[in-house]
Amino acid sequence: MRNWQKIRENPSLKETFLVREQVIDGIRHFFKTHNFHEVDTPLLVKYPGTEPFLEVFETQLKTAEGQSQRGFLITSPEFALKKLLTAGLGNIFQICKAFRNNEGISSKHNPEFTMIEWYRVDADYNDIMRDCEQLLMSLNGGNKLTYQGREYDLTSPWPRISVAQAFQKYAQVDIDSLLSEEKLLAIGKQKGYQVDSQTTWEQIYNQIFANEIDPQLAKLNTPIIIYDYPVSQAALSRKKISDPRFAERFEFFIGGIELGNAFSELNDAQEQEARIDLDLQERKKLGKVDYGKDNDFILALKTGMPNSAGIAVGVDRLVMLIADVSDISQTIFFPATEIFGLDS
Amino acid sequence: MGSVKAGNISKNDYILFKDSPYLVTKTEFHAPGKGSAFMKCRLKSVVTSNTVEFTFKSNETVETADVESKELQFLYQDGENVVFMDPRTFDQAEVPMGLIEDKIGFLTPEMRCYVLFYQEKAIGIKLPTNVKLKVIEAQDAVAGNRVNAPKKPVIVETGMEIMAPLFVKTGDVLSISTETGEYLNRVN
Repeated sequence: MRNWQKIRENPSLKETFLVREQVIDGIRHFFKTHNFHEVDTPLLVKYPGTEPFLEVFETQLKTAEGQSQRGFLITSPEFALKKLLTAGLGNIFQICKAFRNNEGISSKHNPEFTMIEWYRVDADYNDIMRDCEQLLMSLNGGNKLTYQGREYDLTSPWPRISVAQAFQKYAQVDIDSLLSEEKLLAIGKQKGYQVDSQTTWEQIYNQIFANEIDPQLAKLNTPIIIYDYPVSQAALSRKKISDPRFAERFEFFIGGIELGNAFSELNDAQEQEARIDLDLQERKKLGKVDYGKDNDFILALKTGMPNSAGIAVGVDRLVMLIADVSDISQTIFFPATEIFGLDS
Repeated sequence: MGSVKAGNISKNDYILFKDSPYLVTKTEFHAPGKGSAFMKCRLKSVVTSNTVEFTFKSNETVETADVESKELQFLYQDGENVVFMDPRTFDQAEVPMGLIEDKIGFLTPEMRCYVLFYQEKAIGIKLPTNVKLKVIEAQDAVAGNRVNAPKKPVIVETGMEIMAPLFVKTGDVLSISTETGEYLNRVN
């Protein structure tokens, strides 16, 4: 039965779906009262983001004169927002749809989903951490969040753990082994994960994280902030001055659900361009849809993007928490699984 | 023994994990912070009935367990085991209750279904897509002027509770989906 039929049969379900409206109103209110402007940038672009593992939706832009160009749906409005930071807009946020193709079915994914991305100028990722703490308290209307039979305490400051600390504490992997491809693959094999000649450092890093670290973090009765990722896992963020093997990136989780991904933004044009080039090469190797780089974005960095920090948060997942539902399809009137008849 | 890419594992597959056979009870795509694809699986041991969770890389190969199926008849359950019989040979097979506790409510005496065997041990069953079950307890509900159609709980002959439309009465035979446990229609 489709969602619209379920709602008709059970009118109290309407309230669950309308939590989305409350959450989005709440997000807008929060940022507008914290000195941010809301902006609007395209969903249809010529050069989408370059993350090697994200796949894009592609279309054709046709003109009346019979010309045709490739166009893409954004995986995130990041490039455009950074151009606006360079233009001098100050603190900005955008609530918009983002699109990711070729992802599997999950209770937390929809190929078309709603994201809020916000940026602070003259700020770093620590400031964004505080925004997250305050935003969640504001949306929840208090510090006790009940989700799927468990109570979470949203009181700030939230616990924070670095990626290196998490690997040491929960997976018994020391920092040198973590950062060495050879050592981490060997440890992965010892731990019983499948490791062959094709296995990459990134795969074992994430597989250890998923099997040994995530389950421990999911047991916490507070949100958790994981920060300082190895630099290869943070293409758009600044390296830590005190330890350039790591980048100023953080993610935050509640009840095992990843809600946001944040950076102290990299504004060095040369370094950013080098990382983008590497990403595009990686995309080619992985057989992902091929496209060029956004030179306008590089130009904005060269022109001088202010020191900023920013984050992208999944709005549908926030709605899941506030509405206390276990599946993203319970927050979206017409999920892709219904529209496209995908197996779940 | 075959193999499959972890990204293609489905619910109800039987796989070998750490050299032991498991039933896949749940799969979920997992993509850590824009990283490569993984498949998070919930697995139920066919040997111990214990559940574990494991996240595979989507592109790693996983061995499938060679499972055979035989069409048998449900006889009875005796607490720990559910007993089936081959109506032609009268051979019996016992499936541990712990492996099919979510399916037992659909089984009526002499009902045929496929019993699954791994290395000669009965480890599970495959039900038909829907089954007919008689209602043994249904409260009267006033239909009234309702635009929307809520449901009421009824008990069927196996002891299972189903949500059914208000017009359903004791004695009605209902067609129930074995996939979702939902009422499909009345088949009196």
